Formats: sequence, C-alpha cells, structure tokens
Amino acid sequence: MHSIPCNFSVFGYPVISSSMKEIKVKDASTLCTLLPDGEPHIQQSVFVGEEQRSSSISVKSTPELEKKYVHCVYDAIAPHFSSTRFAKWPKVSAFLESLPTGSLILDAGCGNGKYLGLNSSCYFIGCDISAPLIKICADKGHEVLVADAVNLPYRTNFGDAAISIAVLHHLSTENRRKKAIEELVRVIKKGGLVLITVWAVEQEDKSLLTKWTPLTEKYVEEWIGPGSPRVRGPSAFTLESIPETEENGLGGHTKDSRENTENMHQSMCLTPENKDDSLVSKDGSNQQEYFVPWHLPYHRAEVSGASAGALANGLAKKDDKKGAVVYNRYYHVFGEGELERLVSGMDNAVIIDKFYDKSNWCIILEKTLLGLKHLQDKDTSPSLI
Amino acid sequence: MRLLTHNILSSNIKGVTNGFPLGIEVEKVVEKQVEINHDFLRNIFPKIDWKAFSDASKIMGYVELPEESPEPSVLDSDLDFLRKFHHALLELHLEEGALVCPQTGRKFPVNKGIPNMLLHEDEV
Repeated sequence: MHSIPCNFSVFGYPVISSSMKEIKVKDASTLCTLLPDGEPHIQQSVFVGEEQRSSSISVKSTPELEKKYVHCVYDAIAPHFSSTRFAKWPKVSAFLESLPTGSLILDAGCGNGKYLGLNSSCYFIGCDISAPLIKICADKGHEVLVADAVNLPYRTNFGDAAISIAVLHHLSTENRRKKAIEELVRVIKKGGLVLITVWAVEQEDKSLLTKWTPLTEKYVEEWIGPGSPRVRGPSAFTLESIPETEENGLGGHTKDSRENTENMHQSMCLTPENKDDSLVSKDGSNQQEYFVPWHLPYHRAEVSGASAGALANGLAKKDDKKGAVVYNRYYHVFGEGELERLVSGMDNAVIIDKFYDKSNWCIILEKTLLGLKHLQDKDTSPSLI
Repeated sequence: MRLLTHNILSSNIKGVTNGFPLGIEVEKVVEKQVEINHDFLRNIFPKIDWKAFSDASKIMGYVELPEESPEPSVLDSDLDFLRKFHHALLELHLEEGALVCPQTGRKFPVNKGIPNMLLHEDEV
C-alpha cells in the first residue's frame, strides 16, 4: 500500500476549479493509508455554487465522506464485521426463497455474502465495493466481484432479481441513492423483482440514536433533496472528538454482535441537545445523517493492518478502556416514505410491497415495461396498450 | 470468475457505448466441479450471448461447445450438450488474468478468481 497525498477542500472533496489539477486516485482502498499530512487546505474556490459543483462532479464519483467513513472503515473491520453478520433476516430469506427455481439473483453490496446461496435452487452473483469483504465471500466459494453499487458493471435486463440489503444508507447524496436504485432495476429483466432494505430514522430502540453522532454540515459536501440543510461555510475541516459510544446491530441484527453484547449495557450515553425522541437538529431540519461507531478490538485491529494508518490520520481513535479502535461509519437513515419518494420518478419500476421491519424500511419493486407504470399510477384509459 | 459472470459483465467506463463482451487475458484457469442444475441451465440459456460465451470458453481452453447457438430444444433432450454447457458456464474459473474493455483496452484485473471492476476517478 502506498500513500497518496490528498488535497482536501473544506468539505473533504477535491474541488474542481481551473487552477487545480484533478486528483487521480488509483483505487479507493489506498486512501486508507493517507499521510497525517492530509491537513485541510481551505481554498477560496470552495465557495463554488451548488449548480456548478453538481454539474462538474459525476453522481458516480465517490464523495470523500464515503471513502473515509464507509469504504476505509469496512476495509479495516472486514473480518470482525463478518464474524458478527451471520443471522439471516427472515424477511430477506422469505423474499429469496419465493423466487422461481433457477433464478439468477444479483446481490449489490453483498458484504460478507450472508445471503449468497441462501436459495439453493438459484444462482447468485454478489458484488461489493470492499475488496476485503469480497475476499471473505470468495473464500466461501461464492461467485463475486468488486464493484460499485452506483455503477454496476452488468448488462441491462440480464438478472432475474436483485437485492440491496442495508446498502443505500451508506450513500451520502440523494442523487447517488436514486442512481443505485436505478442500477438495481436496470440490471434485471422486465418483470423481475428488487428488494431494498435500509436503516430507518424511526428506530425501535430510541435510546440507540443517542449513541450515534449526528453530522453537521461540516462533514457533508453535497446535500440534495427537500429538507436537507444547505452547505454553508467556511468551517474548519477537523474531526470532532468522537464521544464514547457503542456500535449497535440494528435492524434485527442485534443478536449478531455477540462480541459486543458486554458493551451494550456499559456504554456512556451521549446526551443530545435535542429531545431524545426528536431527530430535529439545531436549524430545524430533520436529522438523518449520522456517524455510527464500530469498536474493533485491538487483537482484531492488528490483523487487518489498516488501523495504524487510520489512527495516524484521525479516521479512528483508540479506546483503551474497551481495548478497541473506534471507527465511525457514515449513515443516511431513511424516513418513512423516503424510499417510495426516490422511486416515484422512475418510469420502469412499480412498488409491489413496502414495509417496516425491525427498524428498517423495506421496499419491493417490479421492473415494468416503459410506460406501463402510468397505468398503475392513474386510473386512466388504457391508451398505452 | 466463471463464464456465466463473464457473460453478464460489461465495461461501464464513461463514454463507452459498447462494453460487451470484455476480452479475456488468461494467466491461470482452474476447474472446479459443481452439481448440475437443469432448471437453472434452462432459465439461463436464453439470456446467454452465445458467441461471447463460446469465444470465451475457447480462450479458457475448452473447445467442446458448438460455435452456433443451438436450438433451445436441445436443453430438453440432449444431456451431453447440457453437461458441456454446464461445464463451460459454471466449472471453468479464471483465477488470474484480466478482463479487457473492448472499446478502450482498459484492463480490469482478476485475482484469486475475483474481478475488480472498480473505475478510476477519471473513468466515471
């Protein structure tokens, strides 16, 4: 691994301006060994208007926030993470078992491959952006590749079904979340089904929210969508000290975190400024952006080797009391109706089921022929037949 | 990487209009037996781009597949064909090598059987 000096803007993203060379990064994983010299260089050009920024940066380009607080983290914690992810969520199992014999199922963001091969009469191809997690899948004999859920390297209309389990909440802009859904629909055949699950704002155990760190606009370089706080600046790009919290295994996975159950009752609760059951942040907008901690025990941290670099550049902190390196994972938790809203603009998918289960919002889509969606949406004449 | 996967993969580099099929550079091929599933073979057959599949299997060192796409009826009657189809589709693995974008020549590495299809910043 080699280090690549990275010129951070205030918002952690290399700003495209005429005076600045575009930074070529070989692959996201090398960012995990950033030199401590990744100090913020606050540039005047950072105050580019939103429209300008949006048009010059592709929706398929990974924002710094995700590189640092999703990709790097999962790469570093992969084996430990995988060991806590074994319980199969009944709703996902039921969906997979309901698919016709001989189906080709695409799992985008398959993680440690928990669901690959779940239906033994079907064939699975999994992909994930984390090479270490994909390696774990491959070691189990699964057919997998390293790829980006926002830009799937699959031909259109090929698969029979697709699943996206606890993935989209790691995408930091609405456009990227929409893109990922479009990709899931694109790669399956007409009539095929897509199951998407994401963490909900409405957590069953409300006390867990107090253990998360809400993000302020300091960390997010692009907010798109109704109700999202607009980026203001300048703000110093420094990582606030992460309060001692504990990761949780949400969405029915609580019993997964065997290694962490002893921590569940000992953690210190962060007292939020807002009411416990309110997710409204200071400026009145709904808080949906969070850092959720992951405690990587010291003996596990040595194995992956990535933690030394992460500690050096401030991406992780040591908790000697718990004997763990603490990482933060970025989440955009979804509100009620948000998944439906993201899909509403699509002309080739319809919602055939939607439900809330164990602190997750879930949706099942069916890929339709273009234009037929309008027949479902409105009770109008069948002029399209 | 199995040839089933090769048949679904396409180069998604910005500006590429036809990224399928990817070229194959072979360094190491491994054969691993897996149980045959006739339902799956019948379901997957119509999806397969036969020319790409047949060409790829030759590159991987397997020459038993017919050049021309057979009639779907062979799936019901010809067990020998099913066995060959199954073998080429699911039992040949590209362990080490690369997949090549047909339009740009860009190589996607395959290591330990795992293709890395991630794009660089300037390719999205």
